[in-house]
Amino acid sequence: MARRLVFALVLVVGVSALIFFLINAIGNPVDMLMADRPGTTDQAIAALKAYYHLDRGVFWRYLIWLGSVARGDFGTSITFNQPVGPMLIEYGLETLKLQIPAILLGLLLAIGIASVAAVRQYSRVDFGVMTGALLGHSLPGFLVGILLILVFAYWLGIFPSYGAYSTLTPLWGSSLADSLWHMVLPLAMLTLFNTATLTLLLRANMVDVLRHDYIMAARASGLPERRVVFRHALRNAIIPVLTYLGILFGLMLATAPVTESVFTWPGAGFLYINAIQQLDYPVIMGETLVVTIMLVFFTLLTDIAYVLIDPRIRLE
Amino acid sequence: MSGVPAGQIAVPTARRRLPRGPGNLRQGWDRLRRNRTGFLGLCLVTLVVLIAILAPMIAPYAPNDQSAMLHFGAQAPPSAAHWFGTDRSGYDVLTRTLYGAPTALLVGLGAMLIAAVIGVTVGALAGYLGGFADELLMRATEFFLVIPVFIVILAVVRLFGVVVIGTPLEGLPFLKLDAIIVLLGLFGWPPLARLARAEFLRLKQAEFVEAARCIGARRRDIVFRHILPNALPSLVVVTALGIGSAILAEAMISFLGFGDPKTISWGQSLYFNYQVLRVAPWAVLAPGMAIFLTVLGFNLLADGLSDAFNPRLKQ
Amino acid sequence: MDFPSRAGAVRAIDDVAFTVGRQETLGLVGESGSGKTLSSLAVLRLVPPPARIVAGRIVFEGQDLLTLNSAQMAALRGRRIAMVFQNPAYSLNPILSIGAQLTEILAWHEKLPRRAAHDHIAELLRLVGITDAPARLRQFPHELSGGMKQRICIARALLCHPALLLADEPTTNLDVTIQAQILDLLQQLKDRFATSMILVTHDMGVVARMADRISVMYAGTVCETGNAATLLRSPLHPYTRALLESMPRADRSYQTVRSLPVIPGRIPSLADPPAGCRFHPRCPEAEADCRKLRPMPVTLGSGHVVSCLKRGSQGVLA
Repeated sequence: MARRLVFALVLVVGVSALIFFLINAIGNPVDMLMADRPGTTDQAIAALKAYYHLDRGVFWRYLIWLGSVARGDFGTSITFNQPVGPMLIEYGLETLKLQIPAILLGLLLAIGIASVAAVRQYSRVDFGVMTGALLGHSLPGFLVGILLILVFAYWLGIFPSYGAYSTLTPLWGSSLADSLWHMVLPLAMLTLFNTATLTLLLRANMVDVLRHDYIMAARASGLPERRVVFRHALRNAIIPVLTYLGILFGLMLATAPVTESVFTWPGAGFLYINAIQQLDYPVIMGETLVVTIMLVFFTLLTDIAYVLIDPRIRLE
Repeated sequence: MSGVPAGQIAVPTARRRLPRGPGNLRQGWDRLRRNRTGFLGLCLVTLVVLIAILAPMIAPYAPNDQSAMLHFGAQAPPSAAHWFGTDRSGYDVLTRTLYGAPTALLVGLGAMLIAAVIGVTVGALAGYLGGFADELLMRATEFFLVIPVFIVILAVVRLFGVVVIGTPLEGLPFLKLDAIIVLLGLFGWPPLARLARAEFLRLKQAEFVEAARCIGARRRDIVFRHILPNALPSLVVVTALGIGSAILAEAMISFLGFGDPKTISWGQSLYFNYQVLRVAPWAVLAPGMAIFLTVLGFNLLADGLSDAFNPRLKQ
Repeated sequence: MDFPSRAGAVRAIDDVAFTVGRQETLGLVGESGSGKTLSSLAVLRLVPPPARIVAGRIVFEGQDLLTLNSAQMAALRGRRIAMVFQNPAYSLNPILSIGAQLTEILAWHEKLPRRAAHDHIAELLRLVGITDAPARLRQFPHELSGGMKQRICIARALLCHPALLLADEPTTNLDVTIQAQILDLLQQLKDRFATSMILVTHDMGVVARMADRISVMYAGTVCETGNAATLLRSPLHPYTRALLESMPRADRSYQTVRSLPVIPGRIPSLADPPAGCRFHPRCPEAEADCRKLRPMPVTLGSGHVVSCLKRGSQGVLA
C-alpha cells in the first residue's frame, strides 16, 4: 500500500517534470512570450527574466517551481495578474459543478436502464437500450452539445446557450435558480455520454451475472425477483463498473476544455485554453500539475475501491 | 492383432490429400459479414476511404472557391447549387466536408502507425523478455498513461506553433498537422503496449511455441512467424479503435483553435464556423456528422472484428 | 405429484410424468441432455427463458402449481419446495457472507426474531455437519471447501423444512470421498425432516444407494419408472437394460470381452428427434413399428411403468 503511494507521488512529480522540460525545451519561455507580444520594453523583459530565474539552468528552475508549489504558491498569472492558486480553485469548482453531478446522474440512470434491459434480454427493450447506448457512446461530445444548443437554446429558446450565470438579471430573480438553469444543457451533454457508456458496461455485466447459478438459487429460495436483481445480481455486476468510474472521471476531466468551449463555461478547462493561448506559464504548469494529481488520485482510489468492495480480492 | 503376419506391414501407396477447410482469415471474414454492426462499420469506413480518395473528383467546387459570395453570399442555407449550403467565408460546405476526409484518415492512420510501432515493440519486448525489462517498460507505460494527454498535446502544439515563427520551418505545408499526428502517436501507444504485452505473455506459453522451440527455431522466427500473427487480431481491433480516437482527438484539438489553419479538416471547419452557429448551423452540422459517422464506423468495425476473431458464445 | 411436458422452440421435454410420494426418494436418471435438470427446474417453474412450460400439470400437495400466480409460487419456493444445485462453487453469491445469505432467506419466509433466527440457523448448520457455526457464518464462499459449500447449500434448502427437496446432481462436482458423506447426510436429513426428494443424477451408483423409486429419462422423455430394487434387478426398457449393462461392475468378469459394452450411436439432437420411438436408432430390439409409432406409458404390475412398444405400450403416430 505504501509502495503504491510512493509510486503515485513519483508519477506526479515525474509528469510535472516532463511538462516543464518539454515547455522549456521547445524554447525559452520569456522569448516566446515576447514573440507573441512584440513591443515590450527591455525593462519589462529583464524583470520577467529575473522573475523566472532564467539566469539559472532549466533543472534549477524546475526545482524552484516545485519548491514553491509544495508551499502552496503557484505563482502569479501573467494574464490576470492574480495568484494562480485561488484562481484554480475558483475555476475548478465551476468545472466540478458540472462533472460530479454528471457522473452521479449517469450512474443512477445506467443502473435503472441496464437493470431493465438485462432482465429482459433479447426483447425489443433490450435491443433498443443497446442501440441507444451505443449511439450515445459514439456521438462525439461536442456534437451533442452543439445539437443541444441548436435545438434548446436557439430554436426553442428555453435554455441559455453560454456561460454559467446571467450577466444582467439572474433568472427569476434567484441566483441559485439562475445557475441551475445554465447548468441544464452542459449537464445533459455530459450525462448522456456517461449514461450511455455506463449502461453498455453494466448491462453486459448484468447479463453475465444473471446467468450464474447463484441467481437461480436465490430465485429457488423464494426471494422476490426485485430483490434477486438488485441485491444479488446488481451488486455483483456493478463492481467493475464502479472501478471504471475512476477512468471515466479522468476522461471527463481531460475533455473538459472542449465541453467548456462549447458552452463558454467558466471552468478550469476554459481557463486552461486561455492560458495556453496567452502563454500564461504559471497557470499552465499549475493546472497540469493539479489535473495530474487528480488523475493519479482517482486511479489509486479506484484500486482501493476494488479491494474494498469485492471480498474475493485482498491486498497482497 | 488381426491378419497381418509379423514382419509385413502394408504401406499405403497414394497419399490421401485431405480437403482444406476454410482458413482462419476466411472464417473471420464470414463471421464479420454475419455480424450486422461490424458490417455496418466496415461499410462506413469504406465509404470514408472512398470519399477520401475520390474527393477531388466528386466535389462540386474547389475547396477554396469563394465564388458563392457573388451569388448566394456567405452562410447561405442549403440549396440546389450548394447542397450543404455555404459557410462563414462563402466556401461550399459539401466540398469542404468531402475534402476533410483525407485529412481525417491521414491523422488516424498516421497517428496509429506511430503508436502501433512504439506500442507493439514496447509491449512485445516487455512480454517476451519478462523480468527486469518488463518491470521497467511497464512503469514507463503507466507513466505515460497518467499524463493528461489531451491537455498536454494542446500545450505542446501551441508552443510549437509559437516557436516556429520566424524560422524556416514556418513555411512548410501541413507542419502543424504533422506535429499533431506525431504527438497523438507519441502519446497514444500505452494501450497498445499493454495489450501487446498481455498477448505475448499469453502466447509465450502456448504449446505451439514450445514446439517451435523444441525444433530449434530461432528466437526471431518464433516472435515474427509464430507469436506475432496470433497476437495480430486483438492488436488490430485496438488499433481500429485507436484510429477513431485519433480522428476525434484531432477534431477536438482543431475545434479549440489549436489546429492547423492551413489544412482542411472537420475540426477546423467546426472551429471556423462555430461563431455563426446560430445563423448557419449547416456549416457546423455537416463536419460534425462527418466526424460522428467516421468514428462510429471505426468503433463498429472494431467491435465486429473483435467478434469475428473471437466468436463469443451467443446464448 | 404429477409432471408436465414442456417445450421451447425445440420440444425439450415431452410426455414426462412421474410422481413422488411422501418421504420417498425418486431417482431421476439419464445421460446429459436427457432433460432431467430441466424437469426438476420445471417443478419450481424456474425454467430459464426462452424455454417455457407449454402443457401439463404439476400437482403438489393437491394444488396444480401451474395455476398459481408468481407471488404464490414465490411463497412456495424455498419454503415448501427447495433445491440444491450441482456446482456448490457457483450456487452461493460470492460477495455476500454465508450468514447474510442464510438469514435473508429465513427472514423472507418466516418472521422470526433475531435471536431465534440465529439459533435456528446455527442448529441447522450443526445438523449438516458444520462445526463452529458463528465463524462460518461470517466467512465468504471462496474461503470454504467444496464439501462445506455443498453442506451449506443443503442447509439453505432445508431452512424452512420443505416438504420436497430437489437435488440436481448434488455430488457430481465433489471429491469421491466427500460424495459418500454428502449422500449420507441427505439421507439422514430426509428421514429427520420427513422430506420427499427428487434426486437427479447420471450416476447409477448414487441412484442405487439412495432411491426408493427410479425414473429413467432419455432424450426428453421418460422411458421407465419403477421401484428401485426391481428396476435395477430386472429392467424392462431396452435403454435401461443397455445403461445397466454398460456400467463397469466389480462383480463381473471382463476377461472375455474385447471392450466394455456401450450403447452404439449418439444421443439425438432435440431439434430433430428420431420419428417414432426416440430410442429406436440405438435399440437392439427395434422393429418396423418402432420407427413410426411413439410408445405411450403403460402400467405393468406393482406400479412399474414402461414406454416401449415391445413391452406392451400403445403407440401413437409421431
